[in-house]
Amino acid sequence: MAEPLDATPHATSHLTPATAPIETDALIVGAGPVGLFQVFELGLLEIGAHVVDALPHAGGQCLELYADKPIYDIPALPYCTGRELVERLQKQIAPFAAGFHLGQQVSEVTTRPDGRFDVATDAGQRFVAKAIVIAGGVGAFQPTRLKVDGLDRWRGLQVSYRHHEDTPAAGQRVVVAGGGAEAVAAALDAVTQGAVSVTLLHRRDDFDAADAQLARLIVARSEGRIGFVAGQASAFTEHAERLTGLVVDCNDGSAQTLPLDLLWVRLGWSPKLGPIADWGIALDRKQVVVDTHRFETSTRGIFAVGDINLYPGKRKLIVSGFHEATLAAYAIADRVRPDRAEPLLYTTTSPKLHRLLGVSPEGASKS
Amino acid sequence: MTHVVLESCIRCKYTDCVDVCPVDCFREGPNFLTIDPDECIDCAVCIPECPVNAIVPEEDVPGDQQHMTKLNAELAKGWPAITRRKAALPDADEWKDRTGKLDELVR
Repeated sequence: MAEPLDATPHATSHLTPATAPIETDALIVGAGPVGLFQVFELGLLEIGAHVVDALPHAGGQCLELYADKPIYDIPALPYCTGRELVERLQKQIAPFAAGFHLGQQVSEVTTRPDGRFDVATDAGQRFVAKAIVIAGGVGAFQPTRLKVDGLDRWRGLQVSYRHHEDTPAAGQRVVVAGGGAEAVAAALDAVTQGAVSVTLLHRRDDFDAADAQLARLIVARSEGRIGFVAGQASAFTEHAERLTGLVVDCNDGSAQTLPLDLLWVRLGWSPKLGPIADWGIALDRKQVVVDTHRFETSTRGIFAVGDINLYPGKRKLIVSGFHEATLAAYAIADRVRPDRAEPLLYTTTSPKLHRLLGVSPEGASKS
Repeated sequence: MTHVVLESCIRCKYTDCVDVCPVDCFREGPNFLTIDPDECIDCAVCIPECPVNAIVPEEDVPGDQQHMTKLNAELAKGWPAITRRKAALPDADEWKDRTGKLDELVR
């Protein structure tokens, strides 16, 4: 990759105590719709799973790229939004109580002598997994950087890209860059925390957030508690190893320096294909090559489902991903329990599946 | 399969697409962006980013712009990668709604 996958250390990484590795049957990389449905299909086969995702919430592209946009091609759901699809999937997989490890990215995968995999995330979480399912979509979503060369020197000190990295704002002059819901929330949060001053920096005076948040923003601006500057950051000022200001090219052609103690960047998230390229599995144009029987990669025990995989006739549709996850689950069962053939059971009639799902349907088949 | 930048981009070059590309497959010329077909993974994330709807999947290239698929591939070979968004061309807004801009392309 031209840009290393989030080379900047997470502020919390070094503070997290080393925990014992979690042993799991399956580790799913990616909590988008296909990764979530993978939990379900594995669950029906009594295979436990843990899920890792770079975003701080489940949902992947559905939430990050089209949360409120319509989807019309989910079977038996004539219409839903990205957000609704994710909510429904989370409800569907709830009986299987998968472990979720969000806001972190898988950074290392190595094969153990016993055929299982050692997996580590950039937040220090470790796993020992019998199988890995890559449901990575278009890659791991990374916070969009403020494009000012050299600014990242202060990341983790005065510059932060995510809520959990922010230095407390009390008594500080805070500049928030961005125009979306996260930026608005951060500005309001800085006021609540007792910042000396809060300035929102965005290309234009147009913010995209929930109505309630926008209403609070209007009040805070009218009361002078949040300032606004229309423009783009172009450089910074520093003094004695401290970031002291952000130079902004304003829309009216003038340049202005915003003095600051803290810079909270909330420019949204962009996907970057991750270090999967370093795992030693076969790729074709950065897609993971799989077979169409097991959806297994060139490394036995590592599977790939959803938008990230490639096979003859591949179509990047959610519904294709659901099919792929279903067949991958059977292949994983075969790997995890090679001595037990999996009979095909139907959720309509199988008392065993009803038990796993925690349901007791009326009029269930007597079989 | 790949995605293709159509003529609408010529003399505008808004570059919103560049930020979201997970594989950095955009290449930059003086007044046009192109997609390297050997790098594009057809993720479609860039399509809604373009303010002038200049990006389409290869199979959706309109009949009168079929030449753009080949042109993207050809130009991509010689142009440098662009991985960071930058300001659009100064008179982009004046050109964004014009059609038949192929003669304006600077190589």
